[in-house]
Amino acid sequence: MTAQLNANNTNIIQVNDLRKSYGSLKAVDGVSFSVGVGEVFGILGPNGAGKTTTVEILEGMRAPDGGTATVNGIDVHKDPRGVKQVIGIQLQSSAFFDRLNLSEILDVMASIYKKQVDSLALLANVELADRSKAMFRDLSGGQKQRFSVASTLVNDPTLLFLDEPTTGLDPQARRHMWELIKQFKTEGRTVLLTTHYMEEAAELCDRVAIMDHGKIVAMDRPAELVSDLINRGFRKERIETQANLEDVFLDITGRALQN
Amino acid sequence: MQIWFRDRQAIFWTFFLPLVLISVFGLLDFGSFRTVDIGIVDKAENEESRQLIADIRLMDAFNISDPISESKEREALSDGERSLVLIIEPGFGEVDSPTRRRVSVIYNQGQPQESATGQSIIQRILDDITFAENDVPDRYVIDAEPVDSRNLRFIDFLMPGVVAMSIMQMGLFSVAFSFVQLKSKGILRRLQATPVLPASFIFAQVFTRLVVSILQTLVLVGLAVVAFDVRLEGNLVSMLVLALIGGGVFVSMGFAVSGFARTEDVAAPIANAIALPLMFLSGVFFPRDAMPEPLRAVADYLPLSFLADALRSLAVDGQTIWSQWDNVLGLVVWLAVTFVIAIRLFRWE
Repeated sequence: MTAQLNANNTNIIQVNDLRKSYGSLKAVDGVSFSVGVGEVFGILGPNGAGKTTTVEILEGMRAPDGGTATVNGIDVHKDPRGVKQVIGIQLQSSAFFDRLNLSEILDVMASIYKKQVDSLALLANVELADRSKAMFRDLSGGQKQRFSVASTLVNDPTLLFLDEPTTGLDPQARRHMWELIKQFKTEGRTVLLTTHYMEEAAELCDRVAIMDHGKIVAMDRPAELVSDLINRGFRKERIETQANLEDVFLDITGRALQN
Repeated sequence: MQIWFRDRQAIFWTFFLPLVLISVFGLLDFGSFRTVDIGIVDKAENEESRQLIADIRLMDAFNISDPISESKEREALSDGERSLVLIIEPGFGEVDSPTRRRVSVIYNQGQPQESATGQSIIQRILDDITFAENDVPDRYVIDAEPVDSRNLRFIDFLMPGVVAMSIMQMGLFSVAFSFVQLKSKGILRRLQATPVLPASFIFAQVFTRLVVSILQTLVLVGLAVVAFDVRLEGNLVSMLVLALIGGGVFVSMGFAVSGFARTEDVAAPIANAIALPLMFLSGVFFPRDAMPEPLRAVADYLPLSFLADALRSLAVDGQTIWSQWDNVLGLVVWLAVTFVIAIRLFRWE
């Protein structure tokens, strides 16, 4: 593991020796890392590695058994509501009130933060402006996910938590989500995301942490991790192709968002 | 609140069903098939009066009450428990008495058919006596005096009961279902990801339900008054206060159920298992007097009994809420108990 790359930056997330057990299972087993302001930080790992638990502790939704975590200078264990006030959370599976349309849901969510929002602008941001009067349950999978991201923006958070934001999306919708995340970065927001997709991490993340069995087993820039591996003598069997099946799919169906 | 009003099914069950119930029962109006209830006060106490009473007793048309004092009979009449009261004045049938061929009838104006039937039958009996005496010109006369009575119809009894029942349904079902749904769909979890205080969210939920229970009471009472001519004796504001307390009891019960049940499939039978016995044991549709004693002893302490009784006393008997302190106390005790259980069982996930 290399030295902290952002040691000289201001850290918005600071995690030290975080622990959380469920019975005998150590879901999070001594995790430490920090995320700088404006970074896109990815947590990778197989299912059950402890990604979601780690993120939920940072979000103030679960109390840790040990260790400390501060977000924006606030101790998440001592003041979970203070943390929730400044962050935006996208859950793995999001559900919203039935019988309210999209812009009404955003208004309700904003009222929780005691803020007024331009719900149409928020929806336009995720290309859902034309569905503002639709019900959440009538949206397609990709639209649901985009709306879910829009809902995390109602309090104009400086830090966004996105838990597997592209799982289950078609290639167009995934690429659109990537554009959104890049846009957040240019707006100066910090993004912490979890994902199973390595090409997504490589495309988006400034740094990634790879978790397994509750521990961080590697943490660096994606390119560094790859060159480390190559330096250790790893060679992938090379198949020279100029395109893959996804390229074919996108070529045929177009890159534009379809729903 | 808006969310609740968008739930058409909830609106159906909350407003429409009780309205249908009260309308069906109201239109059937069991009260109109009543018998002619008469009371007899014999002040003459001679052979002739006893003969007359015996003749009247032969008639199947009458439901004759056991003899009680005149003042008691008058009271029963004005409470609507008699169609008419026949008073046989002293000196009836005695020669030279001014009341020789006179009886008095006081009758219930609110039951015109029954009292008219009763009077004409009595008149016939008297005429038969006249014929038997071969003294046709000197006919027996009835002095009739109308009394404005408060006639309890079935709808008067039913209306407060249906109001109480609807408050229970709304509190129990709408809270239990919507909370279990919020929980199972993960909406509560999404809310947990925001800085919303659990207390303020729950307060909003409870507030909405209580507003609905007030509206419900107003609509049902309104229908009863407008369409079924129910005379509201008591203070409407007091009734709404009762609706609020009762709403609180059943909303807490709903929370308790939603805390206990993980999915709607579990919540439904539990809520029904609570609601159905309450509905039939608490004297919503029929008085509890008809129940066997041990059952009644339990039924009297059910929350819906307290609520229905208090509402009924207010609406029908014109009682004040203070005179119903025992029922109100019963409700408050239930409120405290269900509230504590609800808090104990409540879970976000």
